[in-house]
Amino acid sequence: MKPGWLTALSMVLCGTAIAVYALLLRVPAIRNHPEGYVAVFAIAATIAGLAVALGRRWYAWAALALALVLFAGGAAFNFVLARIPDAQTNLRLGERPPDFTLPDAGGRPVSLADYRGTKPVVLVFYRGYW
Amino acid sequence: MSEAEKAGVEIVAVSPDPNERSHEMAQRLRLGYRFVADPDLAVTRRYGLVHARGGQQGEDVPRPTTVVLDRDGVVRWLWVSDNFQVRPDPNDVLRAVRAL
Repeated sequence: MKPGWLTALSMVLCGTAIAVYALLLRVPAIRNHPEGYVAVFAIAATIAGLAVALGRRWYAWAALALALVLFAGGAAFNFVLARIPDAQTNLRLGERPPDFTLPDAGGRPVSLADYRGTKPVVLVFYRGYW
Repeated sequence: MSEAEKAGVEIVAVSPDPNERSHEMAQRLRLGYRFVADPDLAVTRRYGLVHARGGQQGEDVPRPTTVVLDRDGVVRWLWVSDNFQVRPDPNDVLRAVRAL
């Protein structure tokens, strides 16, 4: 294989990983496996490394540098930055969580107790706008 | 009619966000959510669901969590995130609701 082809393959892999993750974020199988993009960047870096070994062209070096930057950045983001340290929650299966009252969008108070005996509740905690 | 309405369940979403913004978002996305605001994270903290200094400016933020409570208010299904990119699969949540 020619270094040019390997370089192109490496870049296509990087671009595809970014596009697939960004465009298919709503698909749980993609969203919930962010380690996937890290793995693809690692494969792309390996292929670019091979291209460099076959012919020391500037574009092969550039592809290797880019794939390595993406791999290091992706790994740091996914395995360090995005990581939430373990902590004890007060939620146990089979137990009732503490009740609360908080205002809804119209300023009306909402309590978990409002639904007791009437409706199941899906209670979601989320980070808000970001 | 949303899947949640069909399943006869109420979705209560807690975040530190100002309510107006959550309300706008719900209307824009046509979500059948009940958004409630916990601006100082008092309830989130009581539940043990604070990701300390996890925000963009180093502020405390909620740890993404989804809980299914049955009609008696008892926890039947629980998902607590250990990576803020990851969210529960909505199909898993629906399955848990239907299994009640």
